[in-house]
Amino acid sequence: MTTDVEFIPATSENKPEHSAIEVSSKAFWAQTSEQRDETFARLRAEDPVSWQRPVEEAVAPDPNDPGYWAVTKHADIVTVSRDNRTFINGQGVLFDMLPADFLEMSQSFMAMDAPRQPLLRKLVSSAFTPRRIATIEDQIKTAAREVVDGFASDPAGEIDFVDRCAERLPVRMFGDMFGVPEEMRSQTATSAGDVVAWADPERIGDRHPAEVGLAACQTLHGIAAELIAERRKKPADDLFTSLVEAEVDGQKLTDGEIGAFFVLLSVAATDTTKHTSSFTVRAFTDFRDQQRWLMEDYDGRISTAIEEFVRYASPVMTFRRTATRETELAGKKIIPGDKVVMFYPSGNRDADVFEAPDRFDLSRDPNPHVGFGGGGAHFCLGNQLAKSMLRALFHELLTRIPEFEAGEPELLGTNFMRGVKRMPFRFTPEK
Amino acid sequence: MRIVVDHDKCTGLGMCEAEAPDLFEVQDDGSLVLLNETPSEDQRAAAEAAVESCPTEALSIVED
Repeated sequence: MTTDVEFIPATSENKPEHSAIEVSSKAFWAQTSEQRDETFARLRAEDPVSWQRPVEEAVAPDPNDPGYWAVTKHADIVTVSRDNRTFINGQGVLFDMLPADFLEMSQSFMAMDAPRQPLLRKLVSSAFTPRRIATIEDQIKTAAREVVDGFASDPAGEIDFVDRCAERLPVRMFGDMFGVPEEMRSQTATSAGDVVAWADPERIGDRHPAEVGLAACQTLHGIAAELIAERRKKPADDLFTSLVEAEVDGQKLTDGEIGAFFVLLSVAATDTTKHTSSFTVRAFTDFRDQQRWLMEDYDGRISTAIEEFVRYASPVMTFRRTATRETELAGKKIIPGDKVVMFYPSGNRDADVFEAPDRFDLSRDPNPHVGFGGGGAHFCLGNQLAKSMLRALFHELLTRIPEFEAGEPELLGTNFMRGVKRMPFRFTPEK
Repeated sequence: MRIVVDHDKCTGLGMCEAEAPDLFEVQDDGSLVLLNETPSEDQRAAAEAAVESCPTEALSIVED
């Protein structure tokens, strides 16, 4: 992590008792999201910015960690997200504690602050603007059609939605944009999934969680190194070439820096949209009237609807900031060095902002959800790409195989990504 | 009516450009260029939508 500012240590001084409503234990994160939502509802009502114990059984525990402030109200998440001088990323952004070498390899500009963060982020950001994403709209539509071609007429009428559908479109678009060749994409997707799997017993197996994440980072850096070498010899029209050619303050990026970009964006691009589309077909199963409403005017309604897909799914659950100066949040005094963790699914169920927040209501407008973050310097770079993929994919699904039913999702064990590992999906095959 | 960009806050997401393509353009280096600093009254709605859409609160309208 590149940081010019001095590290501000956390302190246990002047802290209240740990909140009676806790969100740090393994038991808490082992619950279903509906059960967790009940706890968040209590926190929003009774202790909206609460002092919590450090996360239990952290991957790389810090014995001096006094705990963190849990921010659960929509308004406070927005405040923390937008005040990037008071709440910085440079001292870590993950809720769980992970080893330094893993963070170095995986976080890139997300775990930085100005002045370096915007310089690095802008090296790729112009590829993700609405105008630029609109120019690849046809490519996205073709990709979505081909993904659905892969199973729509299958007479069995049953697939694992994650494997056969949700995962494929984002992996393909990420591969196209970055310039990852076909034969390396499956490995890229698997490793990107492993990067965020530190709390999933199935993916970890008998290995140490830190080992799984680090091995995945090394695999992705290896793929990056190979492609960097190729692009240096022969530039192409892709993001790898942009990064190889880029200069920041007159200096080229190192292979390690480009590798970290690749890890960060592979996770951000492939994992989140996969989970959102999975939760969305499930939501259509639970709220049948919403599919009918949307199909009455798909083109006119889909943009509004997609905001609700993202609010309802809330795939990213937590990000952390560190306070640089004294401030107040919901009446609590925050001092320099304090860790502040935002709980996005909680903000997205805040009844002060969303009427009947548990309802999947595609007509919700405005829908100021924090599924892409609460604004500020770290707002989701890929939000337009995500929306464009969801628009194309759901057009295919809802017009070609409108009669479907999503079964119970098998969730990823995690305190970071609300993810679906597998989900049965039955449908009436296309003729 | 004049549009003001806070370039320290702007991250080049391009939401404004989507709302008002005649007023804003994100360059290849991620920087934002104001195509027309003083839009006409009939561009007001688009300008306001652009300001509203910015997740980083980098845009504002000043009435001179």
